[in-house]
Amino acid sequence: MADQTAAPADKSVQVKLVLLGEAAVGKSSVVLRFVNNEFQPNKEPTIGAAFLTQKCRLEDRILRYEIWDTAGQERFHSLAPMYYRNAQAAVVVYDVTKASSLEKAKSWVKELQRQANPNIVIALAGNKVDLVQSASSSGDASDSVSEEDPDDATETGGEAPAPSGGPESLRQVPGEEAQAYATEAGLLFFETSAKTGEGIVEIFTEIAKKIPIEHILASARNNAGRPGLAGNRGEGSQPQNVNLDQNAAKTKDACNC
Amino acid sequence: MATISTALRHFKEPTKEQLTHIFFSIPPVVDGVQGTEEGEGMEINAVLSLGEAVEDSYAGKLHIMPPYLAFASLDRKSVRFTIPLSTIRRVERLNARAGIYALSLLTWHGMKLVVQLTSLRPTADLFCSLLKDALKLELQRGNMKNVKTFVKTCYSEVLVNGSSAAPQNEREDGSLDDQIPNSEEITYHGGLGLKFKFPGDPKKLRETSKIKLWTTYLKTHGRNLTLLRYPQYTRLALSTCGSANPGYYERLLQENEGKTSTSTEDIEKDLHRSLPEYSGYQSEIGINSLRRVLQAYSFKNPELGYCQAMNILAAAILIYMSEEQAFWLLEVLCDTLLPGYYAPSMHGTMLDQRVFESLVQRCLPMIHEHFQTVDVQLSVASLPWFLSLFINSMPMVFAFRIMDCFFCMGPKVLFQVGLMARNYLQIQDDGGFLNLMRDYFASLGDSAHPDSPDPRARAITNFQELLLVSFREFSVISDETILSERKRYRSEIIHSIESFAKRSAVRNLRTFGRFPKEQVGFVYDALYKAMCLVPPPPAAAPPPTLFTTVDSGNEKPETRIGLKTFRHFLSEIATWARDEKIVTNGFQERIDREVAEHEFIDRLFFFWDGSCHGALSFQDLVLGLDGVMFNDLMENIEWFFNLHDKNKDGYLTKDEVLTLSESLLFIFRFEVGDAYLGAVSRFMSNAFEYGDALLPQPEPKTSEDETPSSPPPIESNQPYLNLATFRMVVLADEILESFFETDLSASFKLVPLPEMELPISSGLLGDIWSSIATDTNKKMFNMFTDEIGKTIGRHQVIHKPSIGRYTKLEEPKARESLLTPSMRKSASKSSLKSAASSTAAASTSSIATPTSSTVASTTSSSLLTVKVPSQEITNKLDAVPESGSLSAMPMMKAARDAALMERTPFAIDNTQEGDDDDDDFFDDDEEDDQVLDEVDAFLEAHDSGLTEADKKVAQDLLKAEPLK
Repeated sequence: MADQTAAPADKSVQVKLVLLGEAAVGKSSVVLRFVNNEFQPNKEPTIGAAFLTQKCRLEDRILRYEIWDTAGQERFHSLAPMYYRNAQAAVVVYDVTKASSLEKAKSWVKELQRQANPNIVIALAGNKVDLVQSASSSGDASDSVSEEDPDDATETGGEAPAPSGGPESLRQVPGEEAQAYATEAGLLFFETSAKTGEGIVEIFTEIAKKIPIEHILASARNNAGRPGLAGNRGEGSQPQNVNLDQNAAKTKDACNC
Repeated sequence: MATISTALRHFKEPTKEQLTHIFFSIPPVVDGVQGTEEGEGMEINAVLSLGEAVEDSYAGKLHIMPPYLAFASLDRKSVRFTIPLSTIRRVERLNARAGIYALSLLTWHGMKLVVQLTSLRPTADLFCSLLKDALKLELQRGNMKNVKTFVKTCYSEVLVNGSSAAPQNEREDGSLDDQIPNSEEITYHGGLGLKFKFPGDPKKLRETSKIKLWTTYLKTHGRNLTLLRYPQYTRLALSTCGSANPGYYERLLQENEGKTSTSTEDIEKDLHRSLPEYSGYQSEIGINSLRRVLQAYSFKNPELGYCQAMNILAAAILIYMSEEQAFWLLEVLCDTLLPGYYAPSMHGTMLDQRVFESLVQRCLPMIHEHFQTVDVQLSVASLPWFLSLFINSMPMVFAFRIMDCFFCMGPKVLFQVGLMARNYLQIQDDGGFLNLMRDYFASLGDSAHPDSPDPRARAITNFQELLLVSFREFSVISDETILSERKRYRSEIIHSIESFAKRSAVRNLRTFGRFPKEQVGFVYDALYKAMCLVPPPPAAAPPPTLFTTVDSGNEKPETRIGLKTFRHFLSEIATWARDEKIVTNGFQERIDREVAEHEFIDRLFFFWDGSCHGALSFQDLVLGLDGVMFNDLMENIEWFFNLHDKNKDGYLTKDEVLTLSESLLFIFRFEVGDAYLGAVSRFMSNAFEYGDALLPQPEPKTSEDETPSSPPPIESNQPYLNLATFRMVVLADEILESFFETDLSASFKLVPLPEMELPISSGLLGDIWSSIATDTNKKMFNMFTDEIGKTIGRHQVIHKPSIGRYTKLEEPKARESLLTPSMRKSASKSSLKSAASSTAAASTSSIATPTSSTVASTTSSSLLTVKVPSQEITNKLDAVPESGSLSAMPMMKAARDAALMERTPFAIDNTQEGDDDDDDFFDDDEEDDQVLDEVDAFLEAHDSGLTEADKKVAQDLLKAEPLK
């Protein structure tokens, strides 16, 4: 990364990130896993939007994610522009056990590509992948664990039918299909599980790599230090935001963040 | 692809009467539920004394609004009550000093209200008789008996009776510590007397000012009171709705059992996510009641359905109330207290956010300015507050108390609480703002002054201070403020929501066709306008206005319009799909526009309905327009051919040729002159001639003197004309050729529509103006000026032509047969005959041929509008200066065609000037005079100039004429 004169390594770069997706696909849970490394089975639906921050180190730079977690229900759609304005990154989440949620995700991507910041980095995340992994078939999934499965039925109670016919049969969105779409639309793609933590940190790491940091820094300089101020204040109010290291340690291929 | 809603357009400012109803929390009269013969309402000046217990008397206005009796003190906040008449047991005129007219009202449990009517005697008498009638009516309905059973379900009864047992209605849990009633509260309730003894009709007694109210609150009742007050207040909501419809909730659930919708799906998603930390919602019992309440509401109001945040509200309410009560309360919340908050467009939420912003600007200018400089949007934080009544922003205990105040005092509470300023000036960005608020709300239970030496000060919590600040500092914010602010910003919000809806509808199209984005926007505008005028049929599908399509595997609601809306839509875009009359009457010149109705438009509708839904989506419309607006000559001919080829076999039947001709005539109906008329009749002749000539087996010819009743020689449903032939016939005529080359495509015009007016009035002047400038009044004004214009002879109506290529009159050219002489010999006569005969038959209304039924309908409708007796026509024709028998023939032909078309170029009728049941058409007179003169001149000039072909045609027609 370029000129150290402009931004000293210890100064964080603010990245505004917005989460979009159909209701109850696990947007808030993804954030909660990323920010607090925890999982709540029955999270209250987000009304309007929630706001969280998390820091992430990329090479010699510290990124401070300002995460806007939006409400998923269709009628909150009209509020979304308020949250994705000026966003540098977006994570569009769908539920691998629900085909319609991918359609909704696609329409979000379309909207972002037309309406949002032109340089926005978009990642597509197929969440709840833990529901479709059994002990036997978790060939590709590294650390998803089989003892999680019995809980699934209760935890996702209303959302998915009870996994009677084997976990893999719950899957409605094949990974390849979503991957193909993501490649075509130029998105980052991950299958994640907020419950097990699989793939969560990777999303944010890859986004961090792809974001035009210099660009943000340049515009931040022009904005006469406003992000810096907020950043300092934010650090004070978010004491727990350094625990990303735990995350990084836990996940094998997590980068140096 | 998208749902398009015009609901926002239908908003109307409440009338004064409705405002009064809202003020007293009286439910609007529902048709069929309350019965129609409610007594008359009235208001009267009165002084209220509260029986023996209370010392103060208040002057105010007593309203009788059957079946309720309501009172409000003059300042509209000190005292007010709403009593169902059915709770009144006895009314006595008090024997008092002379000149005082006082009534004593005794309620069913013995509370006495003394009302002194201070108006003039006759008014007071009238009021009393109204009251008497209304009471009798209530008695007849048996409502008096229902009261006792209803009040038994109310917690307050238990309280009043001094029993400390748990209330008998199914309150789920009394786990919140400050909910258990203590003696202090009971005395409080007893002290006010009216409040809790009056279950179902609580008297919302307010202290003289909010400050006093809050000091009383904080001093004597602490934090307990509000929690108790809340279930009480909701009795009001219940008594007004629930008592009228006992059992409705159960019925609603039963009727809709097993039904699913997008709402029920959404509800399922959120059931386990509503106050999950509350133990009641970790068990199936709690979840099930929550499901039932939410579903019941979504069945009751399918248009609103379910919105996230409602689950949180319902869950909170259910902690304190039974399912049925919660249902009714939820209804009051969604429909009245938080209007539009949970609607699919969430316009109420957006509006109140805007209002809130403006209140911040007004009350806290410094903070507003600061937010502006650091570019923080207030609503990022405040939106969830309003939507969930602070329930998931604050710790629950505190949120419930805000809710109590909200129920008690109305929506202004939310604004007042929202405004409390705290360190806002430190905020640098949206995120910081949210964090600050979160931390603050989390600390509500903490002491506000932890460092204070005074223990009493230390005991004051942040929450108490919050309430104090909210209600004291922002007491300037009244319900009226909020109403007027809402009024102010409504149109702004509606416009922004609508433009957002437009953008996303346009974005969600699969394809724009060949249109640029802007033009697609115009299509949308036209569609939207049509939908405002004629909302799509609501009964078409279970969720109104929504159809679900199964394309791409998943169900997506999509707005589709029916035929009626389509006609309006097309009239915005296609010049021939509307009847435009330019009316001049000496005072004004205006264009009256009406939506045309014709089979052709219906045909187009079904032609564009590729997916056979019987309804068109936005995408269908765009594709349909795309299919015609970019066509060249050949494509247009093919398009027109396909449009009329019903069974898509590549052939038009004879019927379809006739229908096609009618379509053309319909499109040309307002063109000046007879050029198009001639073109169409030439087309018909040629088509039939050619069609007959090309038939493999010529039908046995009928004799020369066939009668109209004899069937045409060819089966009407037999393939008759293929595209190639059709093309040739069309191209043989230069007028039709130019029509298909450019005019047809050009008759679809996508232009920006003028902004639609919102039904919004601002202030008194606006009210007056809007009541004057209603559509009916405008029409009356127009009619009035028309009348005057007619009497002074300056009234003129001109039909605006759809194409307007020919601005001068042109004589139709005579037809030249396309057939070679040899072909002609074999075929021409019979087909011409049949064509002519069918048309003629139609105009004489003797329906003989299978084809003529459609023709006849056109004819009869045109005759209706023309209203010129045929004798008149002949008179006119006689009146035309004869220039030889040859010239009469085109005239006759034109006259015949004119009867087919909705115009009357030769209908001159000065004698009917005074006839007023069809002004517009008879007002054509002056214009027609000119037309006639011009025709005459033309005819004279060309008298000798007729070609041989003309003469031939004329002779052919002469032969055909006797059939008529």
